[in-house]
Amino acid sequence: MDLTGGFGARSGGGGGPYREPIGLESLHLGDEFRQLATTTLTPDNAGGSFTALLELPPTQAVELLHFTDSSSSSQAAAATTGIGGGDIIITPPPPPPPPLHSFGGTTLTFPSNSALMERAARFSVIATEQQQNNGNNNNETPTSSVPSNSSDRVKTEPPETDSTMENQSLCPNQTNRSGKRKDFDKKVKSSTKKNKISEETEKLPYVHVRARRGQATDSHSLAERARREKINARMKLLQELVPGCDKIQGTALVLDEIINHVQSLQRQVEMLSMRLAAVNPRIDFNLDTILASENGSLMDGSFSGTAMQLAWPHQAIETEQSFHHRQLQPPPPPQQWPFDGLNQPVWGREEDQAHGNDHSNLMAVSENVMVGSANLHPNQVKMEL
Amino acid sequence: MVNSNLFPSIEATGGESSTESRRKKPRISETEAEIEARRINEESLKRWKTNRVQQIYASKLVEALRRVRQRSTNEPDKVVSVAAREIRETADRVLAASAKGTTRWSRAILASRVRAKLKKHKKAAKKSAGNCKSRKAAATETNRIKLPAVDRKLKFLGRLVPGCRKVSVPNLLDEATDYIAALEMQVRAMEALAELLTAAAPRTTLTGP
Repeated sequence: MDLTGGFGARSGGGGGPYREPIGLESLHLGDEFRQLATTTLTPDNAGGSFTALLELPPTQAVELLHFTDSSSSSQAAAATTGIGGGDIIITPPPPPPPPLHSFGGTTLTFPSNSALMERAARFSVIATEQQQNNGNNNNETPTSSVPSNSSDRVKTEPPETDSTMENQSLCPNQTNRSGKRKDFDKKVKSSTKKNKISEETEKLPYVHVRARRGQATDSHSLAERARREKINARMKLLQELVPGCDKIQGTALVLDEIINHVQSLQRQVEMLSMRLAAVNPRIDFNLDTILASENGSLMDGSFSGTAMQLAWPHQAIETEQSFHHRQLQPPPPPQQWPFDGLNQPVWGREEDQAHGNDHSNLMAVSENVMVGSANLHPNQVKMEL
Repeated sequence: MVNSNLFPSIEATGGESSTESRRKKPRISETEAEIEARRINEESLKRWKTNRVQQIYASKLVEALRRVRQRSTNEPDKVVSVAAREIRETADRVLAASAKGTTRWSRAILASRVRAKLKKHKKAAKKSAGNCKSRKAAATETNRIKLPAVDRKLKFLGRLVPGCRKVSVPNLLDEATDYIAALEMQVRAMEALAELLTAAAPRTTLTGP
């Protein structure tokens, strides 16, 4: 029968990412029922079998299935869903089926609107892979009606419908890979589900947006909310990046700070470039000597050398002057640079800075430039120290 | 140009795929958006703080500065401001090159120089930017006296970050994040270099150029 097939598919699909210890606690179920439900909802519904989901004694499950076969679809849905404990829709069987009596301690109150519940049952049937399109169209009507009805129900109902909505939206999540289906995703209870879904939804072109309880659920506000949340996430990152933004409240002020920070950084770059321009003419860059000596001393020196060795060949290719050292072959350095002696004071000096290691190699490199350019080793050593 | 040699060697290396996927990121719900954005941004921001990036930038900067100096010695008597502008542009280009073409602002910086060279305009970028500015300002004034404050600031931020004027808001924020991290690295590197050079320079003048 369609229904069982639908259940199998759905429980298989919904059972995967679906966990509900949190959701169930709010269901006000009797203890034994809660136990049953929590034990049933373990993430191993690979087989998707109904009995696995329920972890009922096989006999009872068989009874249920049998009951499903024999009785009307909605009633079967009710029975099975009621037992599923929030995993499935809870539908009211007008004659309470015998299996349900075993869960006598429950405070489940079934909605009296059987027509509504028939639609909800159709919901479950429809949410299968084969019937995507139909399901989507049909799903929208019950979803829109359920939230409105939830307010009428006893307090146990809204949590149950919430979890049902979540479950149903899970299947469309996994099955619908095209088109926006935001209307499905209504109330969300736990963030654990979101985390599990995130792994799957990363690959989807469209991802379902979840609305929290009590928020507007029409497509526009959902889109707005998703957009706002993306922007807010990025603003938070920017706030962490820019110093002094943590304590500021409000997007406009934070943006002010960010703009100021960017402008100050750009101005600093201008100042530094002016300083470099002022300094530059006084220095005699002797390319061949520098590069030769630098390469030599690089090989000798204790650099974390791969980066530099990669960088230097780039420069070797780029220099306008004829530079024949295509690879890092250390020519015998024309002068014996006290390279190791240079390194340590530089690194020692640089430890003080906030970005100690960041600069140590930089300083050593630039030092080599300076050393080569100035052609004064003893003076250079004094300078660096 | 030598600079064109610089770029292919760098651009050839693969860009970060995370940034590309970020462009096409779908709409995700709230916590997921935060998780995604945080993860991606942290990955991209950390790359501006690594030792290796600093080394590469520093060495390339030194080389580029040397080249600039070589060129400027051919044309003596350059005003400091002109030289400063050249150095700043060189530094920006080197920074953009270090980004390996994964971000919009880096591509814009590299492209602007090519565009300027092609047009043989000294201030082509500034001129076109000026036109755009006047046009945009006129448009906004005719539409509305004052856009909402946040929007105005976002527009301004888009003008600050190179190449990000007509970029969507979340992408703009992403670009700004990366740009700020890159700028900070640039400032650190240039500061260290300037310190070294100014420390060394007084001694070298003794021996003379």
